[in-house]
Amino acid sequence: MPNTQSGRLISKILLLTDGSEGCISVAKYGIILSKITGAALKAIYVVNTDLLKQLERARIFVKIEEVDYESDLEDDGQDYLQDITELAASKGVHLETELLKGIVHKIAIQKIEEWNADLLIMGELEPGLPRQDISHDELGLLLRKARCSVLVAKEQRGLDELFETLT
Amino acid sequence: MKLSNLIKREAIVVPIQNTEKQLVIEELLEAAAATGQILDRAKALQALLDRESLGSTGLEKGLAIPHARTNAVDGLVISLGVAPDGIDFQAADGGLSYLFFLLLASDALTSTYVQALALIARLYQQDDFRREILNATTPQEIIAIIRKAEE
Repeated sequence: MPNTQSGRLISKILLLTDGSEGCISVAKYGIILSKITGAALKAIYVVNTDLLKQLERARIFVKIEEVDYESDLEDDGQDYLQDITELAASKGVHLETELLKGIVHKIAIQKIEEWNADLLIMGELEPGLPRQDISHDELGLLLRKARCSVLVAKEQRGLDELFETLT
Repeated sequence: MKLSNLIKREAIVVPIQNTEKQLVIEELLEAAAATGQILDRAKALQALLDRESLGSTGLEKGLAIPHARTNAVDGLVISLGVAPDGIDFQAADGGLSYLFFLLLASDALTSTYVQALALIARLYQQDDFRREILNATTPQEIIAIIRKAEE
């Protein structure tokens, strides 16, 4: 829903990544749109602890791996958020960031509401392991339950060039 | 991320020649080395054996995923092997292992590594995929089966 207080169609853009492919494209889309619209920009990186637990339950990981990888993914998330903060700054855009852990779609929906975002930009989330509930679909749940517009950023010809020309 | 883009034809062994657990891992590692991404084979083998010592990577329904993260490799490397007669890999369900994915990733690629493991497990849940890949006889056939399952 447009943010009526600001009178703008897009005034708060939330970027979501869990380390899946395309997370740099997500950042570039967000920075370009923020620059064009003047919208505030926030990025969250969600460490997908749900997937780690699924892999441990499936015995693909032993417990110590689950713990180690969670810690490493947190470090990766911090690095990513730092990198895109610098990327945004290089274009004169202020970016707020937050590192979170849990079930990706639930955290994203919660953050949209907390921050009153009116656009979510995300990559193509990698699905988890098959569940007993075969209709479970992280991306589908997020698309259906998000209270704002959602843009799924894909590798797109021209994105890098457009980003480079942004001043 | 697609498994069919990550597995190179030269890293597929069909059928696996060895029958003893460590030798199977070494055979799969040799296949992985054909990609040119293994920087230190001895160190990579040790990483795989260290992981195996924490608990067998032989899973249920004939799947085994020996895996480790190590800077002895460049990026993410996967090799795949089929053992039509089955191998005792000390699997969780006590059965023989027939399909092997060996997966190695450099330390910096945790996210990709975790997602690749999930991809393999997810694909293997498909009955058609399991049946077809265990009957495959050539690397080309295996790549085509993975591609089809991913569609």
